[in-house]
Amino acid sequence: MNNRIKELRARYNLTQEDLAKKVNVRRETIVFLEKNKYNPSLKLAYDISKVFEAKIEDVFLFDE
Amino acid sequence: MKKTVLLFVIVAMVAVACVFWFISSGEGFSSTDMFQFSIIALILVFAIFVGYKKFSSAKRGEPTEDELSKKVLQKTAAWSYYISLYMWVAMIYIKDRMTMDTEEVLGTGILAMAVCFGVCWLIINFKGIKNE
Repeated sequence: MNNRIKELRARYNLTQEDLAKKVNVRRETIVFLEKNKYNPSLKLAYDISKVFEAKIEDVFLFDE
Repeated sequence: MKKTVLLFVIVAMVAVACVFWFISSGEGFSSTDMFQFSIIALILVFAIFVGYKKFSSAKRGEPTEDELSKKVLQKTAAWSYYISLYMWVAMIYIKDRMTMDTEEVLGTGILAMAVCFGVCWLIINFKGIKNE
């Protein structure tokens, strides 16, 4: 699973720390997500998508 | 934050206990004692590193624990338990071939379990958790 977190974060002018605070996780978790080293829970994926005002499938790209 | 403070309190207590141990042993500090002492020091450094990471997270206004850190901890516990089983078999094998007291074997085994946990945590923490 890939994601567009880094791209969307830049578009919304958010730092990793800002995003981490908004979704109530540690900054390291955002780093791992951006490096595709961690697949988030549905709740975290939903929270991140909500921050970027996008659908989950627009932020997280599932390989079929 | 409470857990972080508790971690530092435990580290301080272990450090004080080690100092007392060092003082009370005087000149009779054997090589096994020295080995155990250095492993304890290594564990303390690791605990301080983890505590510092949690403390800096709290300072930035982030949670000290989240879903990733909990998953890392779970996977670390599972891995280290599995490895520890084999390690104890190895310890029993070594004990049969060396002259070691039961206390020494138990002490070394418990310390080795702690080191095993630390190494597993480092590997999983840097490797990440994917597709689980």
